[in-house]
Amino acid sequence: MTDETASKAAEHEAARRDRTFLVVVDDSPERAVALRYAALRAARGGGRVALLRVTEPPGQTEWAGVEEMMREERRAEAEQLLQGLAAEVNRITGTMPVLYLREGEARDELLKLLAEEKGISVLVLASSTSSEGPGPLITALTGRYNRQLRTPLVIVPGGLSEDELETVT
Amino acid sequence: MQVYLPLAEMSVDVLLVVGIGLAVGLLSGLFGVGGGFLMTPLLIFIGIPSAVAVATSANQTMGASISGLIAHWRRGNVDAKMGAVLTAAGLAGSALGVQLFVLVRSLGQLDLVVALFYVVVLGIVGSLMAAESVRALMRRRRQIRRRLHEHFWMHGLPLKMRFRQSRLYISVIPPVLIGFGIGLLSAIMGVGGGFILVPAMIYLLGMPTGVVIGTSLFQVVFVTAAVTVMQSVSTQSVDIILSLLLMAGAVAGAQFGAAMGSRLRGEETRGLLGLLVLMVALELGINLFRRPEAMFVVEPLL
Repeated sequence: MTDETASKAAEHEAARRDRTFLVVVDDSPERAVALRYAALRAARGGGRVALLRVTEPPGQTEWAGVEEMMREERRAEAEQLLQGLAAEVNRITGTMPVLYLREGEARDELLKLLAEEKGISVLVLASSTSSEGPGPLITALTGRYNRQLRTPLVIVPGGLSEDELETVT
Repeated sequence: MQVYLPLAEMSVDVLLVVGIGLAVGLLSGLFGVGGGFLMTPLLIFIGIPSAVAVATSANQTMGASISGLIAHWRRGNVDAKMGAVLTAAGLAGSALGVQLFVLVRSLGQLDLVVALFYVVVLGIVGSLMAAESVRALMRRRRQIRRRLHEHFWMHGLPLKMRFRQSRLYISVIPPVLIGFGIGLLSAIMGVGGGFILVPAMIYLLGMPTGVVIGTSLFQVVFVTAAVTVMQSVSTQSVDIILSLLLMAGAVAGAQFGAAMGSRLRGEETRGLLGLLVLMVALELGINLFRRPEAMFVVEPLL
């Protein structure tokens, strides 16, 4: 009996080390807050960080070469951005984050990724501080798309300062 | 239902004209093109005089491009400085183009010149498009790692200017030449010229692709607006009724096209556009050599 609980606890401990915090990298100012929260949680309580960047597909143009170049350029830009953020995460957690690069609509790609990657255990989103609402992803995932979610969702208020983040993680 | 077009001095079927607007709008929504290069020949095919077809298409292209420009402007995808340079040069080019237009018309050779321009430009563009999609179909993915920004000899010409949003520091001469050429084509052919301007901006100027579409729309809107005004002042050939009918069809068509475009994409559709462009060029070319039904007609020179 005690053995069993001990092995269960060890299993949970292992799972805890394996857990992954997924941060969606968009162009909002709050993404830094979400990123820092995820990195601090991973550094303190175990686990790792994953970053998802969804690039916009190029619109239909009459020249195939132009369209291909648009895709290539967006991809290169996204890669560069992810490399920079990955270095930041690495400074806090000591490990490199997992990087996901997708093309399409942010919400759809996020849901698809969560369905594919069972390893992702927590989704971290930061809410916008503007008066227009928390942001499109949070609005979608707490509203109509909530029932498609099989991952706990952490919403970090976008206005938290670095010190506040230190105390809550 | 027939309606009389006062400037073209002929009656046309309203449904036919709205249908043309719808078809061109559909294609422009599908491919993200202005559609002027299909609009003008279609109007000529149904018997509208070349002068009216060209001037009216320019006006119609402007209307079709404005909403796109606004969308890109909001998202910050317009390099206003580059757009201003291209537009200034485009205005000069289109002013010259309209003068040429008037000159050729007074010589009575306007139909021939417009058709020749179309045969040459559409012939080249159509073959390049078709070749591109055939190549892409042959080997689905070819890896060409090209440096994103290369310096040409012409970037080093004098009068250097900094275009911050395009991350360029190049001579102002190449954009001026490109803008001028597009303005000229715009005045003579009644097109926006985006299908040439976009590749030129990428391959010749080395602009980042993110701002190319928005900036080209910027130039197209201002130049076609100027062409419309200049054409109506100097040749009185912008037919507002025709333009309104076309616009009504095009607005509806563009919505369908954009909705279809998100599902229907890829090389096949692009190949079809290339074929269509080639067919229009061919038809215009054949018309140049076909013996007219009436060899000599007496009518006012339009």
